[in-house]
Amino acid sequence: MPDILARLVEILLVALHVLIFPGLLFAAVGGLLLAGIDRKVLARMQRRIGPPIVQPFYDFFKLMGKETIIPAAARPGIYKAAPVIGLVSLSLMMLFFPIFGHKAAFGGVADLIVILYLLTIPAVALIIGGSASGSPFAGVGISREMVVMLGYELPLVMVLLTVAKKVGGGSLVFSLQSISEWQLESGCLLFHWSMIPAALAFLLIIPAEVGTQPFDVAEAETEICEGPLIEYSGAPLAIFKLNTAVKMFVMTALFQVLFLGGINLGEYWLLGGALLFVISAVLTILCMTFIHAFTARLKIEHLFKFYWTVVAGLALVSLVLVWFGL
Amino acid sequence: MSNFYVHFPVISVMGLFLAAFLVEIFGSKNKYVRYIISLIACLAAAAMTFYLIVPVFLNGEVISYWMGAWAPEGGYAFGIGYEIDGLGLFFGLLTALTFLMSVIFSWRYMSRDGHLGHYYTLFLMLAGSVLGLVFTGDVFNLFIMIEIMTFASVALTAFRHKKHPEALEGAFKYLVLGSIGSSMTLLGVALLYLTTHTLNMAQITALISSQGMQPTTLLAFGTMLAGLAVKSFVVPFHTPAADAYATAPASVSTLFSGMVNKAGIYGIIRLTWILFRAMDKEALMLLLSILGALTMFIGVTMALAQHDFKRLLAFHSISQIGYVLMAVGLGTNLGLYGGLFHAMNHTLFKGLLFLTAGAVYYATGTTNLDKLGGLAKRMPYTTVCFLAGAFAISGIPPFNGFASKWIIYQAAYEKALLSGNIVYLIITVVALLVSVMTLASFIKVTSAVFFGQTPASLERTGEVPFSMQLPMFIMSALCLAAGLFYNKTVGIFVNPAVNAATDPAKYVDTMMGDGYAFSHGIAPQPVTFTSVSIWDPVFWLILFVIVTCAVTLVAMSGARERGPISLPEKTADDKHATFFGGEKSLHSHVGGSDLFWGFKKDLKGYFRVMDDLHSGRTNDYALWVVLGTALITLFTFIFMS
Repeated sequence: MPDILARLVEILLVALHVLIFPGLLFAAVGGLLLAGIDRKVLARMQRRIGPPIVQPFYDFFKLMGKETIIPAAARPGIYKAAPVIGLVSLSLMMLFFPIFGHKAAFGGVADLIVILYLLTIPAVALIIGGSASGSPFAGVGISREMVVMLGYELPLVMVLLTVAKKVGGGSLVFSLQSISEWQLESGCLLFHWSMIPAALAFLLIIPAEVGTQPFDVAEAETEICEGPLIEYSGAPLAIFKLNTAVKMFVMTALFQVLFLGGINLGEYWLLGGALLFVISAVLTILCMTFIHAFTARLKIEHLFKFYWTVVAGLALVSLVLVWFGL
Repeated sequence: MSNFYVHFPVISVMGLFLAAFLVEIFGSKNKYVRYIISLIACLAAAAMTFYLIVPVFLNGEVISYWMGAWAPEGGYAFGIGYEIDGLGLFFGLLTALTFLMSVIFSWRYMSRDGHLGHYYTLFLMLAGSVLGLVFTGDVFNLFIMIEIMTFASVALTAFRHKKHPEALEGAFKYLVLGSIGSSMTLLGVALLYLTTHTLNMAQITALISSQGMQPTTLLAFGTMLAGLAVKSFVVPFHTPAADAYATAPASVSTLFSGMVNKAGIYGIIRLTWILFRAMDKEALMLLLSILGALTMFIGVTMALAQHDFKRLLAFHSISQIGYVLMAVGLGTNLGLYGGLFHAMNHTLFKGLLFLTAGAVYYATGTTNLDKLGGLAKRMPYTTVCFLAGAFAISGIPPFNGFASKWIIYQAAYEKALLSGNIVYLIITVVALLVSVMTLASFIKVTSAVFFGQTPASLERTGEVPFSMQLPMFIMSALCLAAGLFYNKTVGIFVNPAVNAATDPAKYVDTMMGDGYAFSHGIAPQPVTFTSVSIWDPVFWLILFVIVTCAVTLVAMSGARERGPISLPEKTADDKHATFFGGEKSLHSHVGGSDLFWGFKKDLKGYFRVMDDLHSGRTNDYALWVVLGTALITLFTFIFMS
């Protein structure tokens, strides 16, 4: 009997992790809050008052209550499933991040390569969903989204390999848990000077991954009417908007795991950890907002060139430095 | 009757060849007779090959069979021997699965063509030759099987030349370049015979191991390596593949990518790992991995530029073979393990993708990406199978492509760390990047063929018959199963093959008598390797299902307040119509080939060079093959002696 009870508790614990912390609810609330902060700060930078910080929540619930129109040219099944698949892979990723010394909920089953692949799934979901809606504007949007993906993937791969080499030295280390433990011993990776170009490259990858200005070519409201999302309405659109917010959150969390994992808080780990998490998430997002505020949208070919030359170059500098043991 | 199964390999190969003649004699008029003969031959050969799993994989035996009981005498092997170790059976299984699926698919797929007697004759010759190639223990027999394979492939490529004249051109290129490859292999075999005075592979292994590398042996190695590289379509020998795969019937393209280029890879592994035991030489590792990396990068970038469904798949085939060659060439056990696993997965998903391309051709009559669109509604099962194959080849978890690529990345990165050579690091980055390009390219196919807007000419398209769906379903299920239970899959299938390649002592002893290997300096080597990262696919699947349920639950809980779902009416209405921004719909269609505009514009220098190199002229391609052969031979002479 106690056996079954223990099993039950275990299952409940898993459900808790998946649904509430650090899974779906935590990521959703955190992501929407970050999106709110981003909008507010951007507005202040542009001398506007801006929406309240909880505006993304209002937007989300408003959209959930709207009618869902399925266009005649769409494939209904994939059209509805695509946003959910993106959300699932994003909230799965949260379960594998060790955050400030806390062990990850399921840290034992993931590594950098798995994360790299999981990161592509939301983009694929957006592309497949847009493609299934049968609109020519979506066609333009998804083609751009694909090129954006090709663009940032090269520097991202190089950054991840740099981190692996720095942490592992002469042995293979791909696990996020050991990256975090290494940083607890030897200090944050961000404060190793040879890693700074890689960290900059990663910060430049975040806006492309999330799709904010100047890298919002795929959705370009003023030009191709939100591209892949053009035919979406109601609940599926709400979930896609939520995906963008959660992606922002996941990327900031990944940045912390990779570059800021090394602050040892001793006995104040719970409160201090939470505080540090919030501060660094907000700071990471502010870097993005700052770029957003003073740039205009790039053309797709410029974006691609930028990522394969400037950003990949930054990552390469770090990779070469780390390769020679610096 | 204790070892009745030792006759299975030779019976299955002979059965297929015999059936080829029976089809030509009895089946040229009646479609049922010829199909039943072919089906029975394929089923029997496949069943016998699959039965060998028990003795070879599970019990660790090596099966040997001397034709006409010509066992070795006086320390020299005279007769032709068949010898099946883990490596041979591994590729034998891939071959058997491929021709079995293809023959089932052919029944309806080929039903609209004429001269089907010839088709099934050539089909069975091709199947028998590849099976013979992987089972044989004799290098000259290997060469003969390569010849049969090449000529059957050439004839099958040209099979639809009346409807598609370009098939003749493809066949001609294949014929010319394939012949150069065969001649190189023959030259290598002759030189081997010159130095070792035997044609038996087990004995050659032992003799080369005791003699060391002499100049003649080196030349033999170089020419054979180049000849086999032509057969597996490695850059710069890849040029005939694109035309041949694209113009052959889809059931034959499945054979090409599932077993013909695997036969080449099998030959390369047999040559480098076993016959010459040369995988301890850094120079060879560098050569093979660089060739592999070049193959995957050029393959995938050329695929991005294609307008034809099957041509695109052909370039992906080349690219994936690059992964296999690169991993095998790393020279580490982990690399070999990843490479073999990827070879297996490539057979599964690329076979599946060619079958879906065949289904699309059967239903619509075209494979031009710019003329297709919106088939998901009209061919739902084909679409699901295609998506399974596309996810598998792009390496999206939990499909099999992810598991094998993941091992390959680890192997390449480990190699970079162990050797301290930055070339391997670049190769790792290229491998990861190629995977994303593969994904992008398959998204393009998905949106150009199965989603998007339907051209008016395809409004009446329907799903293909069940006998064509069945092989696609089986392959999709295998793709998923090999990814989910990858621990079991590699444990049963890949591990014995890795053991056979790294430890040929038993292979030599079974053929030449106990102690022969040891007396020629081949000591048994236990396999040791570790895969450091953690990946538990079943756990992931469970987690994925839980989260999907959770998300659905959350979405449902808001349903009371949520607005209704509005489905389109039968009659046309503005609310559900696609938004065109006031343009006429015809102005707004994005063709499948325009999808990488920004990418192509930035890399236009690279694409111009590639276009110049892929000129389509057989003379140029032959020059490439000769040049490649010369370079490989030169390389072996300079760096390996």
